[in-house]
Amino acid sequence: MTATREQEFHRQARDKAENLAHRKTVRWAIDTYDAAVARGKSRFADFEAARQRCYEIKWEAVNHLDRYLEEFEANVLKRGGHVYWAADSEQARNYVLELAAARGVKRIVKAKSMVTEEIYLNPALEKQGIEVRETDLGEYIVQLRHEPPYHIVTPVMHLSRAQVIELFREKIPDDVKGDSHEELTAAARRALRRAFFSADMGISGANFLIADTGMIAITTNEGNGRLCTSVPRIHVVFAGIEKVIPRLQDLATFWPMLATTGTGQHLTAYSTLIGGPRMASENDGPEEFHVILLDNGRSKLLADTEQREVLHCIRCGACLNACPVYRNIGGHTYNTVYPGPIGSVLTPHLRGLAEFQHLSYASSLCGNCNTVCPVKIDLSHHLLQNRRNAVEQVRPPWRLRLGMRLWRWSMMDAGRFRLAGRVGKALLRAFGGAAALKPWTEYRDLPPVPEKSFRQMWRQNGAR
Amino acid sequence: MALAKPSQGAREEILGRVRQALKSPAPKRPPVPTGPLFAPVENLLERFQREAATNYMEVKLASDGAGVTAALREVLASLTEGEIFVQDTPQLRQLAADTADGRPVRWSSEGAPAESSRATVSLCEGLVALTGSVLVSSGGCGGRGISVVAPCHIVVTHAGQLFPDLESAVARAREIAFDNSYVGLITGCSRTSDIEKKLIIGAHGPQRLVVILQTN
Repeated sequence: MTATREQEFHRQARDKAENLAHRKTVRWAIDTYDAAVARGKSRFADFEAARQRCYEIKWEAVNHLDRYLEEFEANVLKRGGHVYWAADSEQARNYVLELAAARGVKRIVKAKSMVTEEIYLNPALEKQGIEVRETDLGEYIVQLRHEPPYHIVTPVMHLSRAQVIELFREKIPDDVKGDSHEELTAAARRALRRAFFSADMGISGANFLIADTGMIAITTNEGNGRLCTSVPRIHVVFAGIEKVIPRLQDLATFWPMLATTGTGQHLTAYSTLIGGPRMASENDGPEEFHVILLDNGRSKLLADTEQREVLHCIRCGACLNACPVYRNIGGHTYNTVYPGPIGSVLTPHLRGLAEFQHLSYASSLCGNCNTVCPVKIDLSHHLLQNRRNAVEQVRPPWRLRLGMRLWRWSMMDAGRFRLAGRVGKALLRAFGGAAALKPWTEYRDLPPVPEKSFRQMWRQNGAR
Repeated sequence: MALAKPSQGAREEILGRVRQALKSPAPKRPPVPTGPLFAPVENLLERFQREAATNYMEVKLASDGAGVTAALREVLASLTEGEIFVQDTPQLRQLAADTADGRPVRWSSEGAPAESSRATVSLCEGLVALTGSVLVSSGGCGGRGISVVAPCHIVVTHAGQLFPDLESAVARAREIAFDNSYVGLITGCSRTSDIEKKLIIGAHGPQRLVVILQTN
């Protein structure tokens, strides 16, 4: 019998939490991030005001999504671009597969895009014989390792330099001229330059879709996003429908916010706006511009008014870094495209509550994620709502149902409550050391079971 | 369009689902009184220089045209031999004639920059004092590749192009949005911190971003 997702999650969580080297690497990365974010926030006169404004803009956009999507589409078309609406992953993949076949595309370079991870684009392209190269340094490394990104913003947070050296020496030996961080970055630059300048198509995501100008906004530090969208003759954008914002002017708030909560920078090095293919008067740039708007469960989440605001997410990764569970079990343990608190909330909506409801419990409910979220998503409460929904929609295990029924039975009457207390004490005395309780007692001592109940003591001490 | 026929895909289906979903309103948090997000910027030039330095940019001030020429000559002299790519404008044609010193020049009117370009020279749409950024566009600044392909990007500008903050710079971007297929706010050199969070300057784009700024 194969392990269920939930069992597999618990197994990996235990392994990762016990792996001290892994925890050290991740702690270093997140501590460095925390220090940078503190500096970044101090550059705002009123950071909370910025969060509030981001919340209000996203609320406005998501609650008038049809209007802004249509406005965005009309403006892209005006610029000579194409817009394709994909209901699910398969439609999104097929569009680009057909386009690539029609245009004779052999090589593709990709900027970082979580949506293309969500729809498993790379395997589909490779199956069609197309060479796909991730060009963000972190994404490039995980692609060479044949593993998914560990984090939304920092894909190789879990790796040490030694592991990257080993990987590069095996995969791109001719480009590696040394072992320092600088030399490793230079090696990737050399290898990826060849990819950029021989690619027929560049694929990117979008941090924002801007309705009033028909532009997409991409933020990147390395410049790979710029090269992917400047050099190849075709540019294809994948974006979830929830990415649209009303006005270009909104970026005066979102750009510094995303930079601050994403990496602690004041602004990301390249805050880029692209609208359409190159204009007739321009000297370079792609000849074709395609935007694929992906639903893939988002409109269903939109219908859930209680959790609609989950669509406000700008994928900055702050809630991952803030989460004590993420810090200890790491990004891969979740086995989802979007890990951490936002992933635990979102994944049951995108891929089914029955199979992913266990993630609702991958939280201490401390609420730190809520306080760091730049668009004020109430993540911990949405986890609780998912727990509730799971009980209503997915039949809980018989032990839980039996236990809850007994508990309710005993709570309904004082006599039953007394009886349950006596039975409970006897059971604890008899089986307190039992193997079934090991997950709890392994790291904690069971306190001695008291001789008398509270009510007995109350009576003896002469009350009443 | 060589595709069988341009398809909008599941447009009506998705929009229909969205409209149906939005028939039920979602709660909205109450507004909270907010002030300005950033403190007002006082001395634009001084602030720009300070912020640019933290972004690992080089800012060279020149009091007049001769100073600009001297600054550009100095930067070009520090580069290894090879072609440079220059935005084709009368001002930059003159500057290149005065400074290239026999170095081959390719003009933006000839197409895209070569991968092997040693440096690129362009104008800009504006500078942002608050963040030390340079606002560029494809139509107004020599294309898309000019600001990312070469290891060194040189921007020729003047103090009149300074915007105090992001609100004003983005408003400028909005004004030129429909005249360009690309508009970008560039804040420092290309960089990465992907490996062990160690900052490395010069990933895929320029290692040097030089701003030659005429103050008068």
